[in-house]
Amino acid sequence: MSTRSTIHLVEATVLEHHHLDGEQHILRVQADDIAADARPGSFAHITCDPCLPMRRPISILRADRRQGWVEFLYKVVGEGTRRLAERGEGELLSILGPIGRPFSFDTARRRPLLIGGGVGMPPMIFLAETMRGEKDLQPFVILGSEVPFPFTARPSTVMVPGMPEGVIAAMPLLEDRGIASRLASTRGYAGCFEGYVTDLARHWLDALDEEARGQVEVFACGPHPMLEAVARLARDYNLPCQVSMEEFMACGVGGCAGCVVEVQTETGPAMKRVCVDGPVFEAGEVFPF
Amino acid sequence: MWSVQPLAIYCKIPLMASSDETSTDGPDASLRVDFCGLDFASPLVLLSGCVGFGEEYTRVKGFSNRDVGAVCLKGTTLEPRLGNPPHRVYETPAGMLNAIGLQNPGARHVVEKILPQLDFSETRFIANLSGSTVEEYAEVARIFDDSPIDAMEINISCPNVKEGGVAFGNDPDMSARVVAACRKVTDKPLITKLSPNQTDIAENARRCLEAGSDAFAVINTLMGMAIDAESREAIIGNNQGGLSGPAIKPVALLKVHQVYQVCRDHGVPIIGQGGVASAEDAIEFLIAGASAVGVGTALFYDPLLCPKINAGIENYLARHGLARVSQLTGTLRLNSPPVRQPGCGV
Repeated sequence: MSTRSTIHLVEATVLEHHHLDGEQHILRVQADDIAADARPGSFAHITCDPCLPMRRPISILRADRRQGWVEFLYKVVGEGTRRLAERGEGELLSILGPIGRPFSFDTARRRPLLIGGGVGMPPMIFLAETMRGEKDLQPFVILGSEVPFPFTARPSTVMVPGMPEGVIAAMPLLEDRGIASRLASTRGYAGCFEGYVTDLARHWLDALDEEARGQVEVFACGPHPMLEAVARLARDYNLPCQVSMEEFMACGVGGCAGCVVEVQTETGPAMKRVCVDGPVFEAGEVFPF
Repeated sequence: MWSVQPLAIYCKIPLMASSDETSTDGPDASLRVDFCGLDFASPLVLLSGCVGFGEEYTRVKGFSNRDVGAVCLKGTTLEPRLGNPPHRVYETPAGMLNAIGLQNPGARHVVEKILPQLDFSETRFIANLSGSTVEEYAEVARIFDDSPIDAMEINISCPNVKEGGVAFGNDPDMSARVVAACRKVTDKPLITKLSPNQTDIAENARRCLEAGSDAFAVINTLMGMAIDAESREAIIGNNQGGLSGPAIKPVALLKVHQVYQVCRDHGVPIIGQGGVASAEDAIEFLIAGASAVGVGTALFYDPLLCPKINAGIENYLARHGLARVSQLTGTLRLNSPPVRQPGCGV
């Protein structure tokens, strides 16, 4: 089912724009209507430059309803995001959002596992913060990156079962909220697990007893091969899993069917629109194995 | 992957305004158009393939189908189609390529499940007929004939599978056969959507008119390709796709002008379309000979564009002392003497 939630078109003022290593950027804009309705997994469709009129879909990192700001973490991958990175404080950006079917979690599953890779990190951070509002949930977040992380990692004070020796690096923002996190990379960054996010996830899952493992629900956003590996992991452990997909996008509101992903349904294959049927899908639909 | 070069022309496209600037009263009476007997509240028509089956854009706060004269629904075939594999869209200088592949749930599903959901008091809804054979077009037309749909647009740019896959619309003979077959099964207004990918669009229009077309939509997309130089791969999943957006506007204006020469004496109206992104663009199409103007790709830039175009046309009419938008149609002042034939060093 596609989502019918309201999408706002706003001219948003750039409040802050931080430029990080690895051509990564954190952009904060004043967009009250979007902040009010944003959910973990939803995204915004942004005009990066008036001279490049097709919008670019960018996932939402965080939103503050009270103050009305929305934050995005993005990486330069082409001309659109390169121009977006040039936007300065006080400039206006045309933003359409929030868009899409967000993640939905089952509060009965008390040990959500959140896996974010590269520019797939933002929705996981948003989701973890949202879950923190549910007192019984104990989310564990694994973030992976092949370029320097868009934050300065620090040693964790939150114990996590199954972590190999020396895997202590955590994301400060999550750590400050008491959310367990660990980092993975094949680049040998200090304190990070050297390998893939899914390998680190296996260490954690194997360290849980059967009852605890039965309380795990998996959420992932990141590059397609990572999502496929996460879907396989979830299948191996018989865990429910949602993945957030991306695809080149034109309208962003379900009108053009330009951004599809092939899914398996009870009646056979179907093409679903990433913008309004997704971007979050059940992993088994997209990766039927 | 979105790597395109900037063009100064883009900068004419206005940034969208905040939603509180959008009208709620609907278009001014001066914008009303009689199109094949249908009352269009505005000359603007939302183009097939850009707005799903009519309700998708209503998710956007401030958007209303009441701001346009008609909405063309997504291309519909007899049986459901999955469409093409991704990537289906790609931005190119001053436009975009698309190759959706007619993803649709089939004509019966559209008539039985989707049309009952549409509010026909908001605007006029036009079906878009597609097919692989002449018989399929006719069958889709017959299904829509038995429905509340206001009119039918024939998308003759589909490949003819029985005759080597050449697009029906690239050949006047095949185009006319499709129109004639649809004409036999319906009295609803038939609008033939003409392709620019052919030698003589005016001749094609003439043949389709003789075959019973009530109106024309000019133009469909121009076929194009995008290549990733690093990987040497075609970017679009279907390898080729249709080019739309401001890049094709000059081509579309010329084609509307050419088709208007055929239509003028018969009172056959044209929906002019191709790269319309402002009131000025829309007015140019009307002057070239269009009675209505299609908006497609520019909606992706600004979903709330249509009320702004309406306001711009209203303003233009007032400035030029015109009471009705229809007074603009075909008022082009050509240079005299006429320019020399193309290909002769002009």
